[in-house]
Amino acid sequence: MRNKIMSVVAAAAVAVSGMFFSGAANADEKIVIEGSSTVGPIAKQFAEFFMDKNKGVNITVNESGSGNGAKALISGKCDIATMSRFMKEKEFKAAAGSGKMPVAHAVAMDGIAVVVNPANPVGKLTLEQIHDIYAGKVNNWKQVGGVDMPIVIISRDTSSGTYETFETKVMHKDPIASGVETVGSNGQMRARVQSTKNAIGYVGLGFVDKSVKAVLVNNIPATKSSVASGVYPIARPLFMFTDGYPKPGSTVFRFITMYLSKDGEAIIERIGFVPLTAYKK
Amino acid sequence: MNLNSRKVIDGSFTAFSGFSIAVMGIALVVLLGPIISKGIGAYIFKGTVEHREVMLDLFQRGNKKEIAREENAVQKARAPLYQAIDAFSSELEDLKKNNPAQGYALEADFAEFNKSVFKLLGPRPGQPEPQLQRDRFGQTRWDGALHVLGQAVNVESWDYSEGMGKKVFKPRAEMYKGTKLEPVFTQYLSEDYARKMLEPEWTFYYGFFTDVSYDAHFFGGLWPEVLGTLYLTFGAMLLAIPAGIIAAIYLVEYAGDTKLVAFIRSCISTLAGVPSIVFGLFGLACFIMDDSWFQISRTASVAAGSATLALLVLPTIIRASEEAIRAVPSSYKEAAMGLGATKWKTVASIILPAALPGILTGIVISMGRAAGETAPIIFTAAVTVGKPLGLDQIFSQPTPALPWNLYNLCTEHEAVDEIRHVQYGMAFTLLAIVLALNFSAICLRARIAKKLRG
Amino acid sequence: MEIEKKAPPPLLMSQREGRLVRLMGMAGEGLLFLVASLSVFAVLFIFYFIVRDALPFIKGDYIGEFFSNSKWYPTHEPPVFGALSILYGSLIVTIGSCVVAIPLGVCSAVALSDIIPFSWRQGIKPIIELLASIPSVAYGFFALVVFAPVMQSHGGTLLVVGFLIIGAPVLGIASLLVGDMLSDRFGDSNSGISWALIPGAASLAILVLVSWYLGGIQIISGTNALNVSVILGIMALPTIVSVSEDALQAVGPELRMGSYGLGATRAETLVLTVLPAASSGIMAAVILGIMRALGETMVVWMASGNAAIIPDPFYDFLSPVRTMTATIAGEMGETARGTQHYSVLFMCAFCLLIFCFICNLISEQVMKRNRMKLRGEI
Repeated sequence: MRNKIMSVVAAAAVAVSGMFFSGAANADEKIVIEGSSTVGPIAKQFAEFFMDKNKGVNITVNESGSGNGAKALISGKCDIATMSRFMKEKEFKAAAGSGKMPVAHAVAMDGIAVVVNPANPVGKLTLEQIHDIYAGKVNNWKQVGGVDMPIVIISRDTSSGTYETFETKVMHKDPIASGVETVGSNGQMRARVQSTKNAIGYVGLGFVDKSVKAVLVNNIPATKSSVASGVYPIARPLFMFTDGYPKPGSTVFRFITMYLSKDGEAIIERIGFVPLTAYKK
Repeated sequence: MNLNSRKVIDGSFTAFSGFSIAVMGIALVVLLGPIISKGIGAYIFKGTVEHREVMLDLFQRGNKKEIAREENAVQKARAPLYQAIDAFSSELEDLKKNNPAQGYALEADFAEFNKSVFKLLGPRPGQPEPQLQRDRFGQTRWDGALHVLGQAVNVESWDYSEGMGKKVFKPRAEMYKGTKLEPVFTQYLSEDYARKMLEPEWTFYYGFFTDVSYDAHFFGGLWPEVLGTLYLTFGAMLLAIPAGIIAAIYLVEYAGDTKLVAFIRSCISTLAGVPSIVFGLFGLACFIMDDSWFQISRTASVAAGSATLALLVLPTIIRASEEAIRAVPSSYKEAAMGLGATKWKTVASIILPAALPGILTGIVISMGRAAGETAPIIFTAAVTVGKPLGLDQIFSQPTPALPWNLYNLCTEHEAVDEIRHVQYGMAFTLLAIVLALNFSAICLRARIAKKLRG
Repeated sequence: MEIEKKAPPPLLMSQREGRLVRLMGMAGEGLLFLVASLSVFAVLFIFYFIVRDALPFIKGDYIGEFFSNSKWYPTHEPPVFGALSILYGSLIVTIGSCVVAIPLGVCSAVALSDIIPFSWRQGIKPIIELLASIPSVAYGFFALVVFAPVMQSHGGTLLVVGFLIIGAPVLGIASLLVGDMLSDRFGDSNSGISWALIPGAASLAILVLVSWYLGGIQIISGTNALNVSVILGIMALPTIVSVSEDALQAVGPELRMGSYGLGATRAETLVLTVLPAASSGIMAAVILGIMRALGETMVVWMASGNAAIIPDPFYDFLSPVRTMTATIAGEMGETARGTQHYSVLFMCAFCLLIFCFICNLISEQVMKRNRMKLRGEI
């Protein structure tokens, strides 16, 4: 019996090592992208498209948050940092301290839509009302013109870029009430609001679909055109940072300038962000 | 107390204990039921012609001629639908002039409708190829197609007349009554006709296990994740097995009853009790941070994750091996010693082989554990999207892995609902791997038990 | 053919050879010892690396509010690191999972060791092993994708079913006991069952009333402490069952035989004799189960709602909570090294580590005493 076991083990070992070697791709170039989960979808789609067109380039995208993207760029752990906010002064200083020169590429605009469950009759809120809800001053939908039910407030993890933008644009640095549920991503936020009748949340414009209802903020709908024209109050540009301006013609250069190309624009538009070139229109 | 009630209490006590076992069984069924039944749906499902085109285009799999023939047939079936849509487009222009109120209202809805048709059937022949892969094909699964079909036929709206909104489905056939689009709803968008446009067939998609994924898991399979999990598991085993078995040999055969050995034992059980997330942080600080003496790589990498997992499973392997070695009858050892074998020789040629099945059981169980752990690899090895790695990259690159990507797909993916079947499939695959390992351990142990009984 | 003449090897080793073999043996043993003490180094280094990165926080200005404040705003300016709500979150889900796991686990262990016939046991053991082997992320997936939506749509029904599972047997046995007491006092000696009708009716009324009340509850959000407690309880079950079963087996047949010999029923034997004798082993099982629940990450991260609050009222299991493990997992990826936020997460890990370390020590001591007791050394 022992021999049998041994032979099975040996066979498994051979099979596994065979698998490993056949799986060994020899990618000659790699781009490591790290950062915001809001810019993540853009980076992922760009990467997919880019790798499709340029075989032999391996692009990894990690969505660990804007702060981590900056950190990774500063320590040289990534080639491109995706960020949903501009770099902070502190981060610039740290970069300069380690001999890096972050260069910003604004790749798209993102509006943050305030979303409620579609069953909720409330269709519009003012910025102040949203502020009061998140500050915990308003805790029943009745108080903002809805039906009598408690508000379930859902927010993002305190370290996400979306949270930071929401905090600056809506909360004006007032703390968010401590009773809020927090979720880790836009997708999860949407899923929570979709499944909870009395929930309120906020997601990037790219994540709004039929399963949730984006309310009008100050009577302005969250749409691509309102974001592009700058009328919508909760909007921000999205960035990719590189260390120094990438050498024209290099792989990183070709990747990072994709947002200017027709394909890049179409991709950005398709996944719900607003191409920067929409300003021209 | 009187005898009757004592009897009744005794009976109900027995019943309650049996009941608690039943609860455990039910919990297992309730837990595994949905994951297995829906997870199998990722492998076996009714695939449409679009699925077969995906296979051909992205994976060069399938009979080209056969698919071309099918493609011809479905395009023929789709042609009248497209004609009706085109006819209505021009009618709409007139309508906007003659009856602007209705015309513009319908125009907005017509755009929605076109989107649904696009989602159902993919781009029309002759249309430029969309940039996103997910737009290049229609619905690949018949269940998905039926869902989209519902969206195309009905308008979903909310009625707020009673406070809370209620979902209301309004059939588009009524909205477009009298226009050239009406036959689309009465004829072409029925389930039967959709069958002709998509030709669903039962499909066994084994590639779900062995294919790379395209466009954030919209198409393709789990190979990068599976491979990553294999790397991590085998890497961890490579480190943990020798260390674990040697430690067990020392503890059983060499160690005395000293304070030091007691300390080692208590460290082993402490290690077993460290929460997995703490292992993750430790792995980050120890194997990745620049100022650590044990830095393996500058970013998360397969090797760093394997090392972390190895420490996590080490106590399990030590304990299982210890038990197996202890179970070897001492007569074996005495016989070997009596023949003049040295201690080491006795251990290597008599005790270890005899204990091997027991040790293997422990190894297989800890492989299952290593394959399924998530928390230790979040910061040390995992990445959301990546290609399958080559062996030369394991010291420098992070990898996707089944447990982490399952978390990621069901919480952080941008289209959480559209890829439910992939999530279930991934959960099922992970479970299948882990349970297969554990099941083989159970069988292995049953055989040992049989052997021991003679 | 020429036979080569060679002296037969001596039976005894020369002194030099003997020394060599002894030396190599010692060197080999030393090597084995080194490998065996790998676990020691691992534990030491885990403590070292966790403490090293937690130290800036311990030395910093926020350590006071860590244990006294319940507000968690780690990225706010100025930051607030009140971990009280997070510590409480870990506590409440651990308690909840104990409520689920301990009665079920101990009863299952009793059933396995004393009630169910041996041949069945071999069929049931794999169930427990499979439950133990399911990866935590699969449990989390179930909690988030299957259990939470069901909780939201059929919250009342679920609560009623859960309550009946625990409440009906407990109240049933209680009313039998009360009925028996009543009959002892007021009736003749053989009417215990009929006397049990009075408390039985009362318990039935309680069951119906509570069920009616629970059935009316609407669960607002399915990702809450209750969801996590139930799932963690199931995850902790295998540990509790297998360790307490070992403890029950270790009690040995003598005690049981003695008790039966005195005329006790099986239930009386188990509850009054065997369980007390195995109590320390069961304690150890419970502690291990608690450690499992406390240290679990994926389930709580995915399904607890992650709200850093102390529920109001404090026993409200339907409120979302956030635990230490989920906080580490959720925030670590997005903090920069060298900040107080980074250190505070290591501080959380340190708290977890210390707690598990203490639990481990206790359970080890308890088991050791148990072994000695069974050997009759105490």
